[in-house]
Amino acid sequence: MSPNLARLGFVLLIFVVWEGFARLGNISPILVAPPTEVIWHILRIFSTFTTVPEFYTNAWITLRELGAAFGITVFLGVAMGFAFSANKTVGDAFEPILLVFYAIPKIILYPIVFLMLGTEMMPKIVYGIMVGIFVVVLNTAAGLRQVEPVYIALARSMGYNKLEVFFKVIIPAAAPTMLAGLRMGFGRCIIGVIVGELLVVNAGLGYLIDWASFQYFTPELYALILITLSLGYFGNLGFNILENRWIK
Amino acid sequence: MAKKKKKAGIGIHAQLMRWGFIALFFIFWELSFRLEWIDPLFLAGPIDSFKALPEVIGISKPHVYATVGAFFIAFLSSSAVGAVLGFGIGSVNYLYKTFMPLLILGVSIPKVVLLPLFILWFGIGKLTIITYAALSGFFPMIINTMAAIKEVKPNQVLIAKAMGYNKIQIYRKVVFPSMLPVLSTGLFYACHSSMTGIFIMEMALARYGLGAMVYSLAVTFRTGELYAGVLLTASITIVINVALWSLARYFGKWRD
Repeated sequence: MSPNLARLGFVLLIFVVWEGFARLGNISPILVAPPTEVIWHILRIFSTFTTVPEFYTNAWITLRELGAAFGITVFLGVAMGFAFSANKTVGDAFEPILLVFYAIPKIILYPIVFLMLGTEMMPKIVYGIMVGIFVVVLNTAAGLRQVEPVYIALARSMGYNKLEVFFKVIIPAAAPTMLAGLRMGFGRCIIGVIVGELLVVNAGLGYLIDWASFQYFTPELYALILITLSLGYFGNLGFNILENRWIK
Repeated sequence: MAKKKKKAGIGIHAQLMRWGFIALFFIFWELSFRLEWIDPLFLAGPIDSFKALPEVIGISKPHVYATVGAFFIAFLSSSAVGAVLGFGIGSVNYLYKTFMPLLILGVSIPKVVLLPLFILWFGIGKLTIITYAALSGFFPMIINTMAAIKEVKPNQVLIAKAMGYNKIQIYRKVVFPSMLPVLSTGLFYACHSSMTGIFIMEMALARYGLGAMVYSLAVTFRTGELYAGVLLTASITIVINVALWSLARYFGKWRD
């Protein structure tokens, strides 16, 4: 049996055990919802025939927060990575500070963030950036540093100008490490935004999840959780496509 | 890690720039408090924060014990289980190919949305905090252990065998040392993830630990104490990280 098939079988087995456990086991329906019912509820949520209020409005809020957080993370993170690798003094000066902040779990700074920025979208965006930006900066700087100077010298001697060297030599050579950083940064931005929504409940998918768990609407809760988890899955899929296209 | 190389030749300009930046940051922070750019109800200056520190250290003792205890249980169990399972799965190529994509998926999805489910299943006690933190630490550890096995060069194992090493010696002298760098990366990630997991759960439950303390200081607008509490928590996490770092360096000493 090929590994892919075995994996599929393993996942199916989990679903069957879960279904059997929920239906036949002596367990409260408040704790576990069977997967078939969860899938049914996902369809109902998407078609808005459900008790979940205003799914699309809330999902759009979360997506906007995520977009803003990741956009700023990429922009600032890549810019800082460039600054660190382009100038040794700047890199030496700020990278230790960055490493210390990288080691601190950013979650303990979240109370300060929401105290300062309120309960709406801002604190979630800022917290998402705080969680996501470090890997982007460090990986961008590391990727740019590991470009072989010989390649650059060669390209210069072949008559490339500075812009061409930058786009045709430096960026492709640094791309794998940079993309790995962006991928991790994206995963962390999602975590940041969702944590933000779950701890300071106001709107978004986090609000819906909190609502469902508060009402003990367990199948709806499972469905909403799966929908939110799939954000990470689809993001990862997007990065796979980018990686295949850019890295040869 | 990356720090090692740089220590040799860090210029005076870099030092000046770094400390200048830190000083500017503190001045800016104090000014934004003094000049009330942000309502002082929501922002405390650095001087007030440091003043509140002794008092916060006084009230935080039980919270520190709760957090550090929960962290060590979660971190040690998740890294032990992750390392053993990762070693078992990673040694067999077929299992590696079967489970690696699933485990990577386990890292890349935002597991934090499971938070309400954990509360539903395990209640609002310490068990929930520890289970959630252990799960957070488990995935990075198992993946890095599996990746670490790929660092072992089959040739070296073959040579060691030919030179008459027995199995235990091979593991001690060849396999473990070549796994070590990636393995310690995994430990760092597991440490960071389980620590984050602990604080998230503590904040969500708001009962035990430093996370709960900081959260309740925030929602009751005791801003000076909040900042002091965050400083205290941050320094504890830094101490744990430095301890782990020196442990990794001690075991990796033979490389330099």
